[in-house]
Amino acid sequence: MSGLVAKLKEPLGQRADLSEVLAGSWTSLSARELSDRPVYLERDGDARLGDLFQLDGSPGGTIRFVGELDQADRLGAGLVEGEVIVEGSVGREAGLALAGGRLDIGGDAGPRTGAAPLGFKRGMTGGELIVRGSAGAEAGAAMRRGLLVILHAAGDRTGLGMIAGTVVVFGPVGAEAGLWSKRGSVVALGRITPPPTYSYACTCQPAYLRLLLTRLRAGYGLPVRPRHLTGFYRRYSGDMAELGKGEILEWTAK
Amino acid sequence: MKIRGVFIEDTFAEAFTMRVARVIITGRSPRWVRAAALKLTGFATSVIGCKVEAGIERDLTAKETPDGRPGVSILMMTMGKDDLAKRLIERVGQTVLTCPTTACYDGLPDAPDRLGVGSALRFFGDGFQASKVIGGQRFWRIPVMEGEFLVQEKFGMLKGVGGGNFLILARSADAALEAAEAAADSMAARPGIVLPFPGGVVRSGSKVGARRIKSMIASTNDAFCPTLRAVTVSALPEGVNSVLEIVVNGVDTQSISSAMKTGIDAACRDGVVAISAGNYGGKLGPHHFYLRKIMSGAAE
Repeated sequence: MSGLVAKLKEPLGQRADLSEVLAGSWTSLSARELSDRPVYLERDGDARLGDLFQLDGSPGGTIRFVGELDQADRLGAGLVEGEVIVEGSVGREAGLALAGGRLDIGGDAGPRTGAAPLGFKRGMTGGELIVRGSAGAEAGAAMRRGLLVILHAAGDRTGLGMIAGTVVVFGPVGAEAGLWSKRGSVVALGRITPPPTYSYACTCQPAYLRLLLTRLRAGYGLPVRPRHLTGFYRRYSGDMAELGKGEILEWTAK
Repeated sequence: MKIRGVFIEDTFAEAFTMRVARVIITGRSPRWVRAAALKLTGFATSVIGCKVEAGIERDLTAKETPDGRPGVSILMMTMGKDDLAKRLIERVGQTVLTCPTTACYDGLPDAPDRLGVGSALRFFGDGFQASKVIGGQRFWRIPVMEGEFLVQEKFGMLKGVGGGNFLILARSADAALEAAEAAADSMAARPGIVLPFPGGVVRSGSKVGARRIKSMIASTNDAFCPTLRAVTVSALPEGVNSVLEIVVNGVDTQSISSAMKTGIDAACRDGVVAISAGNYGGKLGPHHFYLRKIMSGAAE
């Protein structure tokens, strides 16, 4: 079987920064080589991935993380290639500045998922980030390109300062989604209250959305319903405090 | 060789390398898909006068299209690389962009040569256009009065084959037409090919150049015109009073061979004397489809 499996040896017990584990090229690395990648532990300091995880398998462009990773921060940060599957929930800033490849999180994700590193202007610049649970505040902040999908609830300020790219939320979306967005799209299949700096444009059926949702259903098995495909969307343009070329698309039964 | 009493001449169809793009059109209903497809493939029979050859490859079910709506697959072919991009931009811009509910996608995603189509059409959006990258491919959202027109940024281009053909030599015009209809119908659903002429059938096969006007690049194929039997060097056997041609373009030689086999088999029926093919002595086109080899099961 090709692909790597990283199984947590024992509960983390402290926050772990995994930001360097999958940054840059990694798909051709063996389990042993990847084990040497650095990890920073909040209490114990420097460590190697192999100190925390048992890595098995052979390089095949995929890696599966198994174990309770609620305290694992920045998993998939700087990802440029390959497919990363996380069976459970992850900590903060997963997929930080993700640039390519796929990060598929089976559970919840903490705040600033797929966002820009603090002090940097650009968040995701490509790739696809799927959160099959809920995501914390400021998911997709400063996103430049790429796709972020959240299956349950999204926190406040989702898509904060998006430059472009797409965020799709199946559940309710927190306050101030898309605030200061330039060209980004926030697609809300659940409840959303657009910021006051967005202006209602029309109720429509964006063709690209049907293409995107069809692909998400086929490619990731996401629960896209016929009403999502054939239904209508209220389109709000914004953020008018910025370029105003962004949009919030709110699914509507009418 | 004879098939059901129809003589298969020992000759070949001479075909040319062309550049081909596959265009996928989707729409809310088959009505609008068909409307766009008919316009897109209109006036596209021969590069002799149309600049492009095009036809509907097949209808697509909702499950086969990128956006889950009914669709159609179209092949468009030109002789040159540069021409194909121009023709795609012109035709998609004038016939699909204008058609209600439609979207337009590349049907050759694996082709390494890419032609900018949506990237040119986006300017119709006058600065209001927006792009989305979905599955690694960029699409352009062009605002239109109805809503939005979605078109893929780049379309794949492959080397295809144009000008596969066979001639149905019949005792009467009715018999020729009946055989041609049967052939076209049998070939219509074959994958990877299109029949660019009206109903898939040509009545005015041409030869290269002309006897009288030297500037003409094509003129009537007098050797196969029954009315000229007495005044030209005729290629028609005794008893032939009408000839129709089936022209087939495809993405590769195998698709054309296979379609020709199907079509010729369907055309071999009462009233047909012989099946022949158009060629230029083998000097112009690199692809030679030998009728007897095809009908005996061997490919080109």
